[in-house]
Amino acid sequence: MVSQVPQLIDRLTVAENIILGLKQYGILSPVKRVVEYIRTRGESLGIKVDPNTEVWKLSYTQKQLVEILRAILLGAKVLLLDEAITYLPIEEKRKFYKFIRAFAEKGGSVILITHKIYEAMDAADRITVLRLGKVVGTVYASEVTINDVRKLMFAERSSEITYERLAPGSPEENVLLSIRDLWVMDDFGDYAVRGASLDVKPGEVVGIAGVAGNGQKELIQAIIGLRMVEKGAIIFEGEDITRKGTAYIRRKGVGYIPDLPAKYGVSLENTIEENIAILPVFANIVIDWNRIRDLALKLIEEYQIKIPSSLTPVKLLSGGNIMKVLVARELAVAKKLLIGYNPTRALDAATAIKVRKIIKEKAIKEKTGVLIASEDLDEIFQISDRIAVINSGKIVGIFEADKADRKEIEHLMVM
Amino acid sequence: MELAEIGCIILEIAPAFAAYYLAAVGHGFIEKSGVLNLAIDGVFVLGVAVAFAVGVYTINPWIAFFVTILVGTGFGILLSYLTIKFPISHGVAGLSIMFLGYGLATLVGKPARTCQGRVGAINSGFPQDPLSKTLMFILPILTGIALLFIINKIKLGATIRAAGENPHAASALGVDILRTRLIAGAIGYALIGAGAAFYTLAWLPLWSEGQGLGHGWIAFAISLSAGRHPLFTILTAGIFVGLVKYQFTLQAFYSLSPEITKMIPFIAAITAMVIFNITSLRRKLAPPQSLGKIYFKEEKEQSK
Repeated sequence: MVSQVPQLIDRLTVAENIILGLKQYGILSPVKRVVEYIRTRGESLGIKVDPNTEVWKLSYTQKQLVEILRAILLGAKVLLLDEAITYLPIEEKRKFYKFIRAFAEKGGSVILITHKIYEAMDAADRITVLRLGKVVGTVYASEVTINDVRKLMFAERSSEITYERLAPGSPEENVLLSIRDLWVMDDFGDYAVRGASLDVKPGEVVGIAGVAGNGQKELIQAIIGLRMVEKGAIIFEGEDITRKGTAYIRRKGVGYIPDLPAKYGVSLENTIEENIAILPVFANIVIDWNRIRDLALKLIEEYQIKIPSSLTPVKLLSGGNIMKVLVARELAVAKKLLIGYNPTRALDAATAIKVRKIIKEKAIKEKTGVLIASEDLDEIFQISDRIAVINSGKIVGIFEADKADRKEIEHLMVM
Repeated sequence: MELAEIGCIILEIAPAFAAYYLAAVGHGFIEKSGVLNLAIDGVFVLGVAVAFAVGVYTINPWIAFFVTILVGTGFGILLSYLTIKFPISHGVAGLSIMFLGYGLATLVGKPARTCQGRVGAINSGFPQDPLSKTLMFILPILTGIALLFIINKIKLGATIRAAGENPHAASALGVDILRTRLIAGAIGYALIGAGAAFYTLAWLPLWSEGQGLGHGWIAFAISLSAGRHPLFTILTAGIFVGLVKYQFTLQAFYSLSPEITKMIPFIAAITAMVIFNITSLRRKLAPPQSLGKIYFKEEKEQSK
């Protein structure tokens, strides 16, 4: 099984990761012995990865390849790919399709789990659609169109789904957020962001496109003050906020939607009121609960959050509603700027589009600057006014979204 | 002449070095597997008492040495077992075992102390001639190198590191977390036991209630400030042992009060950890990512 998030151990080398599962090697056997084996088997499968590299140095694609190699070395007959290639750029995806085909032709079976319909159409022979845990239909890919599958997936909501670009914003001329030659380290003491420079204007949505693990996470965390900046400057409204700390930056009117919102964005055990009151923008040492309650109720109504009361623990909500709680709160904070990383990951397509629309409207109506990094290129194209491409910690290209060429951007992402 | 004096000073700290170094690398080894080891001081104190008691009763340092190692191993297995088989916090399990160790130490040490009072001073320690003392340097360091080899070069080491970094992914990759941590706990605590045995048998052959108290924590600090790396631990152990051993010399030299000099090793421990954490060493020798996190099989899916 290969999942969306590589299940490998970052600090171990490729060989060490693989030997863990190989029963033919006893616990006292040297890791060296497996290295040659991996190299030859890998090459015969067309997977070229140095077995002595530590996994954290690999790109997302390489990690997925290592996972597949491992599955095959373990003698897998069935490969289960759980959103494993969803966030790969199209060029890399094609390589995977080829590989999947070859594996299937040799007698193996592949189960590909994905929420991107065209991916299923491209790769699969048969498509089974699940909705709310029930099988709603199985079709042959060669006999149906994308729209048929979409109808199966979303039934009456299928009309809400669109990948068209949202209305363009009308950015002002002055610069709201300016990132200048930023250098930030990752968790392993290596530079993840290497001299990135970027501007965001009020009322503008800037999307950062990139393959996972190219420094977008660290860049976003550095802006909101969650990660040390080694070199460079972050200027917000003409003020240097590089080392100001998260609370200070938040008070300036900066909203933040993190990756994995249920883990890093809200406290699941607490109520929506408490989740609002925790922010320094809304309450300081003494909390005015009446004010918080008014705000909570206002947000619940405005965003149609399905919640029995503002005192219900957030964990009882569905994933989409938890996300709405987070987005509603952060948009309330984001008087000036909203930054986010994969803001709609883990949402179904219909809800994701709704969230994007809400964000975009905010940018247009209230002249909020928005900076969003996402591994989902569809999302980037749908929401952005300008697209910045990040690769190995550097911004390698900035495009006006209406003139951007998708192929060129994908090429820059994997270059 | 001067060279001989320096040699003498260095050899003088050999027994203490063996004690702290072994306990520190043992501690580092068990923590590599992800078990937060807060039981170390209790088991160290117990080990000191066991080595003393067995030494008094049998008058054979080797029997005392191996019994102490066995006791240590037992507690290591207990700690690993408790933290994996049950969803209890590593902190609670470790500290409980620590207090258990304190209590048992008194229970074991008291009668032996009374007995020793009749028989006379314990004379069952390890030999103190220069050759033996040199060996007290060499053998622990060889042990450290062996550990380094295990950790970095063979599958067992990869398994232990995997269990410490990310037990969920590791078990998906085919690692038996319970077995791995039991092995790491057993080896780590055998070494902590060996350290405690050296403490009594080679360095301080006396025992009174509370003997060794806090010195498990010093081993803890030695290991931590070296990022659990057996080779760096040689350096930090050397510095700490020097401080512990020559604190009285410092006291006399600078005419400090004894209360302050007794604090010196602990102040050094705090300083070392601060230095370690504010420099880039923090990332290079980062602790295992899942150190001290509860790993409980039934909750696997939820905790993701």
